[in-house]
Amino acid sequence: MTATNGSEHFDVIVVGAGPAGSAAALLAARAGLKVILIERGEYPGAKNVSGAVFYGSTILNQLIPEWWEQAPVERHVCRRELVLMSPTTSVSLDFRSAAEGYVRPPYNGFTVLRPKFDRWFADQAEAAGAFLLTSTVVDDLLWDGPQVVGVKTRRDDGDIRGDVVIACDGVNSWLARKAGLQRELRTHELSLGVKEVIGLDESLIRQRFQLAGDEGMALEYVGAVTEAVHGGAFLYTNRNSLSLGVLAQLSSLVEHKKRPYDLLETFKAHPAVAPLVRGGTLREYSAHLIPESGWNMMPALFADGLMVAGDAAAFCLATGIYIEGINYAMQSGLAAAEAAILACRRKEFSRYTLSHYMEALRQRNVLTDFQAYRHAPGFVNGERLQNLYPQLAALGGEALFRVDGNRKQKLLPLYWRTLRQVGAKPRHVLQDLYQVARAYLW
Amino acid sequence: MVMTTHDEKMRTPRFRVDDTPHIVVDGEKCRTCAVRSCVTVCPANLFVLLDDGHVLFNYEQCFECGACYFVCAVEGAIRWTYPKGGFGVTFRES
Amino acid sequence: MRIAVCLSRLPDPETVEVDPFTGAIDLSRTLYVLNPADAAALELALRLRSDGDSVTALTVGPLEAEQVLRDALAVGVDHVLRIWEEGRTTTRPAVTSLLLATALRTEGLPDLVVCGSRSLSGGSGKVPAFIAEYLDWPVVTDILHFSLSNGRVRFRRRLPRGARSEGEVTLPAVLAVEAGTAPLRYAGLPGLMQAKRATIAHRQLPELGLSPMDLNFPSSTAHAAMPPYPRPREMFIPDSSLPPEERVAQIMSAGVAQKAGRIVDGSPEEMADAILAFLQEHGFVAGPA
Repeated sequence: MTATNGSEHFDVIVVGAGPAGSAAALLAARAGLKVILIERGEYPGAKNVSGAVFYGSTILNQLIPEWWEQAPVERHVCRRELVLMSPTTSVSLDFRSAAEGYVRPPYNGFTVLRPKFDRWFADQAEAAGAFLLTSTVVDDLLWDGPQVVGVKTRRDDGDIRGDVVIACDGVNSWLARKAGLQRELRTHELSLGVKEVIGLDESLIRQRFQLAGDEGMALEYVGAVTEAVHGGAFLYTNRNSLSLGVLAQLSSLVEHKKRPYDLLETFKAHPAVAPLVRGGTLREYSAHLIPESGWNMMPALFADGLMVAGDAAAFCLATGIYIEGINYAMQSGLAAAEAAILACRRKEFSRYTLSHYMEALRQRNVLTDFQAYRHAPGFVNGERLQNLYPQLAALGGEALFRVDGNRKQKLLPLYWRTLRQVGAKPRHVLQDLYQVARAYLW
Repeated sequence: MVMTTHDEKMRTPRFRVDDTPHIVVDGEKCRTCAVRSCVTVCPANLFVLLDDGHVLFNYEQCFECGACYFVCAVEGAIRWTYPKGGFGVTFRES
Repeated sequence: MRIAVCLSRLPDPETVEVDPFTGAIDLSRTLYVLNPADAAALELALRLRSDGDSVTALTVGPLEAEQVLRDALAVGVDHVLRIWEEGRTTTRPAVTSLLLATALRTEGLPDLVVCGSRSLSGGSGKVPAFIAEYLDWPVVTDILHFSLSNGRVRFRRRLPRGARSEGEVTLPAVLAVEAGTAPLRYAGLPGLMQAKRATIAHRQLPELGLSPMDLNFPSSTAHAAMPPYPRPREMFIPDSSLPPEERVAQIMSAGVAQKAGRIVDGSPEEMADAILAFLQEHGFVAGPA
């Protein structure tokens, strides 16, 4: 052992200061461990993109009581809308609640801007005693036989040694792949999200989305919004801006040869969206990959001296009804920290001790949620759900509400005709109903 | 403006450009590629297909998303890493 | 030898967004950087340092400005110092330079002060000159490169329109380095970690022996003195006694007479001598050694 600073030894090395990494660093540092949190961006959040709604207020509240009082949050979400679209028409399910859980602390979810929120959260980990090292990219792991004993950063004398490495290095997780825990990802498992933050006057936002005070709204869209490409879109209200974007399955984007940013423009021009964004100014354009296959693309989550958390472990639940990632990232970071704390207490860092991570993930309902919804991603990205049913709903709605002097039809024959009109086979509809039931009901 | 061109979009994030590219594309290998999906999917539109079949790539305004790497159909045509710490794209609001 | 480098933390112009209607700057979207000219100054100072030398980095600014000093520590400067009067929001170049010059005096005068030539976008480049004035030292601006020889600094300067000049200045002196002359080295990991942990020394007005009144300058105006350009030229009027076609030809030539060529005849030696004589006569080549 040399005594230079570069070979300084840490109990826990966390790679990536996103929600998973900062949560892990925060908890481990509070347990008195010597923690380093390494971030490749100029500041935590500089490279991070998501919608973003953070549906994990209660989780964070246990860690930092009344966190929303000090954190940079935008609006608490008490209105949600699921919109089915054809090129001309939209049909939506509008949810609005004044129930305790939605409008009172700790609230159900908040819209956040990731560069601000992640920076704040990493600061909390630093305040708890973690050493936050920014502007430093981790290229590889250090090994001692089968045991991970540190990381290699891309700087001179860049090796950092530690007992446990928690890889929270995002969807591309090179560390999980280099450790052989994750295989090469396939294009149908990944979605490309392109996003814009559009500045809009605060009072205009309240008016357009019928919100009072700090109330916020989250809208999610499926159907013609992404043309034939499998995917969806979202629109969230921030304090004085809107976050909106399009998610497109990578394989489908390739198949249909569509440019992601063109889909974004199509989305903004849709008659159901245009009036919501009118008069806004583009503030920032961004893009990011999303691991959408959940359970089916999950890597092996731990090895000797190594655990994987957050997007790197594909802890992003995209079910069509739920698109949640930040909460699972945090939960998985906390679970990994719990396992690391146990390992440090026992001074034993093999995979047998770190398997406690799985236990902790179960206790935090992370694995159970992904297991329960394991059939959803495949179904959500199915051709008929993506294109046929939104069109069916839209056309059905058009027929239902049109008054043109012709004889009114009852619902069943009306939808039956619409079904024929869009070329759907009743056999397929029954199949899909079964799939829906399997994915969401039991 | 709400409706924006791609150029207008690309002016909004901040890029700190390193001297050495973090992604290297072997344009020679791309000539044999039948799909060239990178050209389609790149959200920053950094891949340009030349008349002679070469693919030209400019790393300077990269979002570091990884889409090109995952859609690449030719083994070894894209060598992909993150930029050096502190360089590359910086988001302020996303 | 002791070298001092003056650094400043500035908004990155790429991230400064001005509302087109109100003219207001949205500070929440602004990112800050080390002024590029200062980064070049820092790099050249570090290259100059040899055994036994020390480099001190100074900045004038609030707590957030510590970042540029940490950047400097990470790449290996020996000491850092931040100077600020709490409650102040901005400084003008005259104030910044007074604070820097006073701090240099109270901390022990160095042999050489290196600054960035001017701040990113719209910088007037006054600070190096003012520091030199306060210290009563010579200042050399627009420096592209410098080295040390026999206790003097040899430098290369940038002049307008691509020209360069070289010269020497005695120590102590203030040098102002152009942006982009030398890329700042990338910090190694141990340096970066040490810098992050370092406690940054900090001086307020009383510690510098200054009172707030000392910083209360009347607003100053900069006067630029430039050689007159473009030079006025007399209008050409054609000779009215000439026939029209010749007057037209004169107007078309804008008064510029065709350059008269000269054809040299004779043996190769004679021709070479004639050409050489011509070149020497017109100052293209130096006379015979």
